[in-house]
Amino acid sequence: MKVSYDWLSSMVELPEDPAELATEFIRTGTEVESIDTVGEAFDHIVTAKVLSKEPHPDSDHMWVTKVDVGEANVDAEGNPEPLQIVCGAQNFNEGDHIVTAMIGAELPGDIKIKKSKLRGVVSMGMNCSARELGLSADHAGIMILPEDAPVGMPFAQYRGTSDTVLDCEITPNRADCLSMIGIAREVGAIYDRDFHVELPAIKAESGAATDDTVSVELIDEGLCDRYVARVVRNVKVGPSPEWLVQRLNACGVRTHSNVVDITNYVMMLTGQPLHAFDLAAFEERDGKRAVAVRAAREGEVFRTLDDVERTLSAGMGLIATGEAGATPVALAGVMGGMDSEVTDATVDVLVESACFNAGRTSHTSRDLALISDASIRFERQVDETGCVDVADIACALIEELAGGEVAPGCVDVYPAPKTVEPVELRLARVHALCGAPIEPAFIERALTRLGCAVEAAGEGEQTVYTVTPPTFRPDLPREIDLIEEVLRLWGMGRVEATIPAAKNHIGGLTREQRLTRKVGQILRGCGLNETMNFSFAAPGDLERIGMSAEGRGCPVEIMNPLVAEQTEMRRSLIPGLLQSVEFNIKHSTANVQLYEIGTLFFGRENTSAPKEREAVAGVMSGSMGDVTWNCKPMPLRFFDGKGVVEELLAQLRIPKVRFRPADGDAYAFLQPGRGAEVLSSGTVLGWVGEIHPDARDVYGIDIPVVAFELNLEALLKLSGAQEAYREFSQFPSVEHDLAIVVDDDVTCEDLERRLRSAGGKLLVGVRLFDVYRDPVRVGVGKKSMAFALTYRAEDHTLTSEEVERAHQKLVTKVCKATGGEVRS
Amino acid sequence: MSLIDELEALEAKAKEMIETAETAEKLEAARVALMGRKGEITGLMRMMGKIDPEERPVLGKRANEMRRMAETLLDHRMRELKCAAVRELMATEAVDITLPGARPQIGHAHLINQIIEEVEDVFCGIGYTVETGPQVESSWYNFTALNAPLDHPSRSARDTFYVKDNAPGTAAHPEEHAHGESDVLLRTQTSGVQVHTMENQEPPIYMIAPGRVYRPDTADACHLPQFHQIEGLVVDRGITFGDLKGTLDYFVKCMFGGDRATRYRPHFFPFTEPSCEVDVSCGVCGGKGCPFCKHSGWIEILGCGMVDPNVLRNCGIDPEVYSGFAFGAGVERIAALRYDLPDLRTLVTGDMRFLEQF
Repeated sequence: MKVSYDWLSSMVELPEDPAELATEFIRTGTEVESIDTVGEAFDHIVTAKVLSKEPHPDSDHMWVTKVDVGEANVDAEGNPEPLQIVCGAQNFNEGDHIVTAMIGAELPGDIKIKKSKLRGVVSMGMNCSARELGLSADHAGIMILPEDAPVGMPFAQYRGTSDTVLDCEITPNRADCLSMIGIAREVGAIYDRDFHVELPAIKAESGAATDDTVSVELIDEGLCDRYVARVVRNVKVGPSPEWLVQRLNACGVRTHSNVVDITNYVMMLTGQPLHAFDLAAFEERDGKRAVAVRAAREGEVFRTLDDVERTLSAGMGLIATGEAGATPVALAGVMGGMDSEVTDATVDVLVESACFNAGRTSHTSRDLALISDASIRFERQVDETGCVDVADIACALIEELAGGEVAPGCVDVYPAPKTVEPVELRLARVHALCGAPIEPAFIERALTRLGCAVEAAGEGEQTVYTVTPPTFRPDLPREIDLIEEVLRLWGMGRVEATIPAAKNHIGGLTREQRLTRKVGQILRGCGLNETMNFSFAAPGDLERIGMSAEGRGCPVEIMNPLVAEQTEMRRSLIPGLLQSVEFNIKHSTANVQLYEIGTLFFGRENTSAPKEREAVAGVMSGSMGDVTWNCKPMPLRFFDGKGVVEELLAQLRIPKVRFRPADGDAYAFLQPGRGAEVLSSGTVLGWVGEIHPDARDVYGIDIPVVAFELNLEALLKLSGAQEAYREFSQFPSVEHDLAIVVDDDVTCEDLERRLRSAGGKLLVGVRLFDVYRDPVRVGVGKKSMAFALTYRAEDHTLTSEEVERAHQKLVTKVCKATGGEVRS
Repeated sequence: MSLIDELEALEAKAKEMIETAETAEKLEAARVALMGRKGEITGLMRMMGKIDPEERPVLGKRANEMRRMAETLLDHRMRELKCAAVRELMATEAVDITLPGARPQIGHAHLINQIIEEVEDVFCGIGYTVETGPQVESSWYNFTALNAPLDHPSRSARDTFYVKDNAPGTAAHPEEHAHGESDVLLRTQTSGVQVHTMENQEPPIYMIAPGRVYRPDTADACHLPQFHQIEGLVVDRGITFGDLKGTLDYFVKCMFGGDRATRYRPHFFPFTEPSCEVDVSCGVCGGKGCPFCKHSGWIEILGCGMVDPNVLRNCGIDPEVYSGFAFGAGVERIAALRYDLPDLRTLVTGDMRFLEQF
């Protein structure tokens, strides 16, 4: 809402400095977005006088004028020098006082005045019409000022338009403040002072009564709470007077013609949107012009005032005429129609002062993406009790400024007159909620200034006010609403800051929250950076990399996606992470180590809410760290990823961790033979593996990427407690190396399990230190696995005989079980 | 040569052998030659048993002295040689200490999560819990329970991502919806968590709800279709607007520094009343006004207010017994303000260069 300081000051006493008022507005809940001085746009525009007027030598309609601009243009010696200006207007004579835009001036519509040549004659500026100055629609010729107008005065100064405009952001609950009267009342409440508005009154009514001229029918319910129509006959449509133009311009409203400008002016004044129709646009039925309010049919087409053809949906409100309102003439509460607007040819005017339903108007405006000054007021709830008074103000102005004859009375269709219920406001409640000693006198005064009727009963803290809010404040139906009004005017800044006691409440992170943080800490300790991707997914993103959707539900589809790559919710973190790898490689960072902890969305058939599951995933490509003078980084492969997973699970104390080959269709996105399923006590936690080259290709990645994705909830659930301290053995251990040649398909896990079982109690450590393949030395299809075995007893120093016995037993058993041989 | 002469000659020889040994190896050879099983001193000592018992005490004592002396000299010389060797080694090991160190690679937490954890720690420190809830919400939990009118503009498909409802009408509290909208949506605020918490817990409630939220804003430098919010909720007996101020003042000072001032501007939100926006004094100009704060001296940081009685009632809490306050802040906004981020999109690209900066 743009508030003219000049206009406002005619209603209520204001501080001299508009910034002071802005500060008070902000303090009490009206945000001020900007404070602008209007008239600045009139730079390099001055009052002038026509010294001479000669016909253009090369044109039959243009004139070459010499224009006196006084001190505004001086020669080298500082003496006033007239300007030569070529002018196409016909309405002026030598000696006329005019307005001239000099070189450097900028006119509305982004017109910059430059030195130019018009048909060979130099022109040093432009003599302006009112329209060219953005003052009115009048373009009949250049503006002629009174004879006593000074010469060479900046036009803004001459016009006295150095108005200030506060651009106020009105919160959605304050429909009343979308009007100058509402703002004046607000100022009155802030400063505790009266405000006055002088409203024009209809001087005379004549001709046939309105209700003999017009019929109004509300065909569909729920569209319109009240409809008031008045008729003004024989209007003279023309430009608006200067003062009206100025006020509308200050409010940011474009001017059209006097009748339309008046409806806009009264809307800015009162907050009640009005519409002026050409009465002739309504068809005559039973001797009356028929006005109907009805709901649009699905797909009905209507051309609005802005000359746009709009396809309506069922339920949108229409003003219509004809049989059963067959012909629409306006989009109720939003915008008028092309064919019913007031034009220069209009003789009789129907003034509509109605209250359209807030919700319906809001839907219409939203669905058509058509926001107007009217719609933003209706959707915040217009005060329907004022419809008649406002119609009268508009008719009085039309009578005064457009010479109309106001028809007696009005048509007023008001099915359910509004009543306002009084609200109880307890003083003790005000104090209890605000935590501030707000004085009873202040409460009464503030609410009264806002337009409430206030009656107090009871004594001291027990005082209860019976408050009847004004009809224009539908946002105050409850005690809490009144408390808010009191507090904002009293000053939130004055309330003493306290910290609640939080008695009988215990806070802090839960076990799961602490463990989730720990997961991040461990992965960062492993050198991975945390990242964050969109929760959105592209359709088919899993299939594209060969990732099975099994166990991931159906896609959660977004009905109104912004882009084609974000129409679903993600079911795996991997596509996003691969995209990050791609992004980094494209930006010359081949060493990528990332992890993400995030939510996956598994849609469910026949259930509205999808399953949301927390997952942790990582990707690693290139090498850990850059090449430096003292180390050569190794490319990251399967075992680096597996190591990270092992470290994570070990630190989380996940019991009985196993890895088994990730084969089959479910893991088609992993390189065969380089993928593992991760389990704990038979529960699948996730997988780790190298991404299949074909899957990498989808993202244009041509280096190995090892990745993992684990079910975070399962990790947190299985995470065990730290075990109690175990005494170190006091006795020395004996280490024995064993290299055993086995078939290639014997797994390390298998061998290790057999070693441990065969080693008995004395075997306390098994560590693989070498895997060796050689067709000649080891044999085709075979491998040598070398282990360091540690033997130790808890209660005595082992003798070499004991160790030898145990080791031989182990070798025999393991060789037998695996078909292996000791490599000598 | 008498035995005593032999002894003395050997002593002189031993001394020389030990002192002239230039390396540990030569010294060891000398030790073996003197004290080894077949060593000269060992041989001499062995002869002691065979000499005249009358001479034995004197000679024996002298021989023992010699052996001890040899041992002492050997030890001493060995230490000398070791020291020399270490010094020599050190001389070769000196490095240019300005060469870069071998840094282990430690990952960085994402900036947004760093801020979330920081806020969590601030509020856990004053006794709050951290609550979470679903990101795919019902319109009841995201809007209606929070007192947002059915025709509120924020519910439109322009401001909310709606999700295809696989079972229309079965969500908790199903509602009527305009074309293109449904009961299921991507939450536009974490406020739904407040409702779940109030439904599931008895007051006193002191909680924050950090989390990801979604709005259909095309990604650009200042917007992302997904971002993070931290909302807070307190419901207890006797909670006042002063408590809201005290709590948020503390929070703002923790996050932005103890010297920052706060300003409470009345505002409107459907789920709180009275409502306000909180500004923090500009950290660049200290409140004098500069381009960063658009010459106002203040930067908007939070929305907050006293929980609307309707919201309490919707969650089964009697507003006559309990009162409360709620607040919400955007994590990306805090990040952008604190670190002057020029483009929010860098937060979601996984760019290692960006992640390693924080």
